[in-house]
Amino acid sequence: MLLASGVWSSDLGICAASGTEIDPDEILAEQPVDSSFRVTSVSTRLTAFEQKGHGYQSRAGELGKPGSERLTVFEPQLEIIAKQGDRLTHRLWVPVDIITSASADAIDHYRTAPDVMSSASRHNEAGTIDLTTGLRAGPNTDLSLRNGIHLEEEWRSWHSGFSASQAFAEQTTVVSAGVLTVFDWFDNLDIIGKRNGRTTRATHTGTLGITQVLTPTTLAEASYGLTVQTGQLGNTWNSVPVETGIVVPEITPDLRVRHALVARVAQSLPWNGVLKGYYRFYADDWSIQANTVEGQLLQRLTPLLYVGVGYRHHSQTAAAFFTTRAPHNSPLRTADSDLSDLDSQSVSGRVALDVPLASPGPKTLHVDVGIERYWRSNDLQMNVLTCSTGFLF
Amino acid sequence: MKTRFLPLMALTLAGFLASGCVRVAQNRRAKLADPMMNLRDESMDAYRKQKLYTTREGAAGGDGAAAGGGCSCQ
Repeated sequence: MLLASGVWSSDLGICAASGTEIDPDEILAEQPVDSSFRVTSVSTRLTAFEQKGHGYQSRAGELGKPGSERLTVFEPQLEIIAKQGDRLTHRLWVPVDIITSASADAIDHYRTAPDVMSSASRHNEAGTIDLTTGLRAGPNTDLSLRNGIHLEEEWRSWHSGFSASQAFAEQTTVVSAGVLTVFDWFDNLDIIGKRNGRTTRATHTGTLGITQVLTPTTLAEASYGLTVQTGQLGNTWNSVPVETGIVVPEITPDLRVRHALVARVAQSLPWNGVLKGYYRFYADDWSIQANTVEGQLLQRLTPLLYVGVGYRHHSQTAAAFFTTRAPHNSPLRTADSDLSDLDSQSVSGRVALDVPLASPGPKTLHVDVGIERYWRSNDLQMNVLTCSTGFLF
Repeated sequence: MKTRFLPLMALTLAGFLASGCVRVAQNRRAKLADPMMNLRDESMDAYRKQKLYTTREGAAGGDGAAAGGGCSCQ
């Protein structure tokens, strides 16, 4: 085959000088497989949460009344993404939680010192190692496999998942599906800190989603998810006040079926801005129904810098067996304030910067900083500060 | 709302999204390539938000994120 003078064929990686004849077998021969391993990004994020408020999960206060839920969490995360050849992408992700008062004095300290078997009420460290491998199976088909373990004081967890996506109509439409399973096993601590062996929980989630390019400036997504949980679904050390004035253990069902319907939209604005919307409807067989709406407004100030503000509102009904004064012989009962009737709101802001680098190594430095103020109608407030840096290669 | 209608609602929403939409040519998607247009937050930022909301509200799960694991998250 005679190519035009000086033509470089980037697909074939060959350059033909004027008049050079190329053997067709060279062009049609199987190309060597690129199996090189290269890191494409390394990112870290540090988030600090400061919480104040009161709830029945904590007995740091008067017996039978909501206790203090004051705590601080530091959460560093590391993410490394690497490509192996042309079709494989690996993502290693390691989040760590360092928490003061993780179970917020849930153990009765009137009769025994908190956490005879562990120190989770004073401080707790938890970490996860998560590895996801993605395969570009075809020009419009992606598969991924995810596995990981979670370790924290007296709690172990393992998760595994698989997902697939298929694009249609020049990638105008993408349909995706995934499954994820989580197995937990943890100490069965009662409300006075006595350990009664171990107990388990299993969580299985399936999701279906569709992403659609609606216009040259509009993206939308809808998804449905089903989660089924079995086993010990409560916190064994949680207590519930009863009519007689004492506290008794929480009792929850051993099955929970959860549904979620989510819609997202992103609209590019003419002045280099973006408006995003999010809505989630949730319902489960514990009688909790929830509606969540969130909006974000982002504005690009320069080619390298953008800022954003966000607002979120969540409202939920209580679990059918939620109570702050249970009958003594109630078969199901919880006073966990997370399962009560509540409204929550949050406002947030962020700044993100992408700086090109003239270096043989990383090509871009990404930095972003965000703040968030969260508050709940049943006496809980949280301040969040988060910052991230990343190198893109 | 009866939860058994949720799968039907999801299919209806998906059908609405997929039907009647114009096929946008690749060379007209420049605006969509802006990182600000990502429908989902950056993965680590999404995790810290999910952690905050799912450990403080009773409505985790059903959205591809683990509803179990660590700190007895409800």
